[in-house]
Amino acid sequence: MSTASRRNGPGRRRPGQSGPRPLYTPRRTNVGVGENGRPALLAGVRVESIREEWLVEDRWWTASPVRRRYFELVLSNGRNAVVFHSGIDGEWYGQRA
Amino acid sequence: MAIACVLVPRFALIAACGERRDLLGFPVALAPDAGRTQLLGQVSGAAEAQGVREGMRLGEALSRCPDLNLIPPDPGRTAGMWESTLRALENVGAEVESDRGGEAFFAAHELRALHGGLAGTLTAARRAISVPIRIAAAPTRFAAFLAASGFGPRESRHRVREQGPGAPRPAVSATPGAAVPGASRPAVVISPAELHQFLTPIPITTLAPRLDLQSGAALRLTRTLERLGISCLGELAQLPTHAVADRLGPIGLRAQRLCLGRDEPLRPRARHEDLSAGLELPDSASGPQLQRALEILIGRVLADPRRRDRTLRSLSVSARLASGGSWRGGRVTLRTPSASPKLILITTAPRLEALPEPAISLHLTALEMGPREGDQLELSRRPEEVRHQRLGEAVRQTRAAAGPESLLRVIEIDPDSRIPERREMLTPFPDS
Repeated sequence: MSTASRRNGPGRRRPGQSGPRPLYTPRRTNVGVGENGRPALLAGVRVESIREEWLVEDRWWTASPVRRRYFELVLSNGRNAVVFHSGIDGEWYGQRA
Repeated sequence: MAIACVLVPRFALIAACGERRDLLGFPVALAPDAGRTQLLGQVSGAAEAQGVREGMRLGEALSRCPDLNLIPPDPGRTAGMWESTLRALENVGAEVESDRGGEAFFAAHELRALHGGLAGTLTAARRAISVPIRIAAAPTRFAAFLAASGFGPRESRHRVREQGPGAPRPAVSATPGAAVPGASRPAVVISPAELHQFLTPIPITTLAPRLDLQSGAALRLTRTLERLGISCLGELAQLPTHAVADRLGPIGLRAQRLCLGRDEPLRPRARHEDLSAGLELPDSASGPQLQRALEILIGRVLADPRRRDRTLRSLSVSARLASGGSWRGGRVTLRTPSASPKLILITTAPRLEALPEPAISLHLTALEMGPREGDQLELSRRPEEVRHQRLGEAVRQTRAAAGPESLLRVIEIDPDSRIPERREMLTPFPDS
């Protein structure tokens, strides 16, 4: 993956880009990983429980395949969040899903 | 009166070859359209030399020329290249009529004063166009077309001496032998006095493509004439008009008028701005996804500031296909000019059903504008129209104050996608 796309994340919009653009683009997030590679901390907040976990493998026939392991988290501050670990660039992203 | 005809032989084939112009030196042909009768499109000179002809069945063509290469037709690129050519002609002052790619007509006599005579006009037209062309002028559209195509005894034609950078140059391309044969020839001018002599010996079969483009009626007419022993235009011209009307009907009369050197006046196209929008589709898309994409494109065209509140009268939808090549949905003309996205969608969306296969990008072009929205006649104003107008005004004011992207709306693209960012998109909010 190129430096630009690593910085912007998958599907992120470049500054100054006009016209239609996707909603719910993933944003890089800081995830602390616990046992079995599952999230234990999200932006410094402890993960209380993992409500759901699923895998998305798509567009494998194209030049930009998608391989994501999603987690729906309940944080210790009561907030719900969805994060995923990208199997392509190895980074963690937050996303409204 | 002098009507000029500009011909670019094998234009669709040249456009489909794109940068690989050297292919024209080999036996190549435009492949049949997907889902249609397996008939070849335009063919290169090298293919013609092996007996392959435009309109021939694919099987027969391959048996005559096993090395024949098939190139997928690219109507999108063809239309784009031809549009640039027509604009180049318009830029020298010509009011152009063109019903098909590779063929344009304009009234050359109207430009004599501007370009210093007929020869200067033809030279200016040739200079304006980047590809090798054939050009001729004659009192009628039909005669100009025939002269540009190379018909008629050579001694009866007056060749105009063109000079300067626009003078005819040999048709050249990247590789020797790849030239479009005979593409660039000296301009030919048929004077009114020469017209009858010029038309008389020309084969009757040349009438068919000039009488109609779609139905086979013109082809049937020329076959009938040949069976009756009428083989050239002069023989048809000599027949009594009442006999032609009796035996051949309106199309026969029209054919005879052409042979007599009478033609309908030119119908130049209205000039227009290039207001268009395109959208790359995330995957090879079809069905409801395409309709969503079209909705976005309509929103973008309507939000384009160059529209200046004018309504749209006619549009065209085109697409690039997943398997290569492109598709054009033809011209869509609204019953009354409108800037209503809903009305435009209802009118244009059915064209998408004719898409032969999944597309990777979709394009919408406004071909003709109507009057400004405020200039349209109104019979009544319903409360919801008033509210809609106020809303439109609010949108305009918000945009003026906070920028063009201050108001956006959400459109569903692929609501069932497993990838969240592919489900919905933000797109400019239409003005009204």
